[in-house]
Amino acid sequence: MRRAEHLQATLASRAGEIAAGLGDGALGISVFDYLSGFAWALNGDRWFHAASTIKIAILVGLFDAIERERFTLDSRLHVRNRFLGALDGQPFRVDAGRDADDDVHAAIGKTMRMGELARHMIVRSSNLAANLLLDLVGVEETRAALAARGVDGVDVRRGVEDERAFATGLNNHVTPNGVVALLRAIRDGRAFSAASSTAMIDILMDQEFAGGIVPGLPDAIRAVARVAHKTGDISTVSHDAGLVFLPGRPPYVIAILVTSSADASTRTGALAAVSGLVYDAVAAAGEAA
Amino acid sequence: MLTLPVVDALALDGSVSRLLKPDALMQTRNGDSHRLPRFFYQVDSWHDALETQLTPHFGLWELMDVDLHEAAPLRLFPRYVPCAVTALAAALELFRLEVGSTVRIAANGGYRSPTHRGSRSGSPHCWGTAANIYAIGGEPLDTEEQIGRYAAVARRLLPFAWVRPYGHDLGEADDHLHLDLGYLTSIPNGISEHHHGGPAHE
Repeated sequence: MRRAEHLQATLASRAGEIAAGLGDGALGISVFDYLSGFAWALNGDRWFHAASTIKIAILVGLFDAIERERFTLDSRLHVRNRFLGALDGQPFRVDAGRDADDDVHAAIGKTMRMGELARHMIVRSSNLAANLLLDLVGVEETRAALAARGVDGVDVRRGVEDERAFATGLNNHVTPNGVVALLRAIRDGRAFSAASSTAMIDILMDQEFAGGIVPGLPDAIRAVARVAHKTGDISTVSHDAGLVFLPGRPPYVIAILVTSSADASTRTGALAAVSGLVYDAVAAAGEAA
Repeated sequence: MLTLPVVDALALDGSVSRLLKPDALMQTRNGDSHRLPRFFYQVDSWHDALETQLTPHFGLWELMDVDLHEAAPLRLFPRYVPCAVTALAAALELFRLEVGSTVRIAANGGYRSPTHRGSRSGSPHCWGTAANIYAIGGEPLDTEEQIGRYAAVARRLLPFAWVRPYGHDLGEADDHLHLDLGYLTSIPNGISEHHHGGPAHE
């Protein structure tokens, strides 16, 4: 027990140092361990620009709509790069040059299955897929899906790459505790079938971006860990949030949100450092439990 | 010669007929009314759609691809496409020969039913006489210059067609070239308009 308390104290003090190293920025962390019940947060209720972590919420909205039998994962949707801005209703497009995924852009004019779009949105962070899915499901419907699952701290306002909305501060925001609640709703199958819960985790598990959670794990743990996560990066923001599955124990949930004008490598380094500290604290709490 | 069966949609099962709305009047934004098509080609499978060539460069499948915004019964086979789709294909073929490159029709951009969620009032797409062209060759049509250039070709070549101007408002297009032949219906030879039951072939 003493070791667990020591490592939790270390997590708190080191996280403070890492936050101080971000200068003008901020660090938000939230953790929940299903094995020990250990829960800890730093700036847990502070709002951050969501960046691409909002795609987890869009995924939940999509599966909520599937649960309501609005469509299925096999339903086909016209891939069209034309959206109406949240601010003024004027059309805008997702710039292919700024999108991490080419495949959905290559399908413009054709149709893709909902399941394929969901995968591209999460696994390769396709902005076009995210906007197509949110446009179809609806912002209000997505917000209602989160509210129905008791998820606070995730504020879905619009699709991504909506520059006019961005310029006026009309953005998607999340708190560390909100993202953890969202991931717990997925893992717990809160108002979801077991099949939907599994399908969402499988998609998150196939994440192609490294982020900071996985690189921060000790080498021996990284080799056996399976992490279902979503990263988020824009000019001054780097986030990573996910479920960390380790052999022989239930998972822990972690959200690390970083905002800073420092270079991207500084932010990514902070993500990895926090991930390592969180792992140590969670592992010790698990042993004590 | 097209070998697809022609059906009188008034004689189709109610679950399909109520979605196709044969012979019903559809009102445009201007308040004009037009009677929806009654005679349709029956397409029994996607394979049939792929194999049915309407003109040398246009297959039927290109003009009947829809997404989940079409009601589920109309996405199941057999599916139905208004007979006037042949006139659209003929017009598109002229356009294709003029531009000398593949003309790509968008999903939901050929025939879609009047109950399709993307069908605005009086859309000629519900007659199977309109096409949304999203790319020509490898060139996407998503700028004023590109849409305007090909719109000029269409207007010169097909003076009887309506080509939407570039723009962001209703009645305009900014990510495709829309051309249509208006509210044209077609009744192939050998089909009686008095027939009210079973296949329309006599």
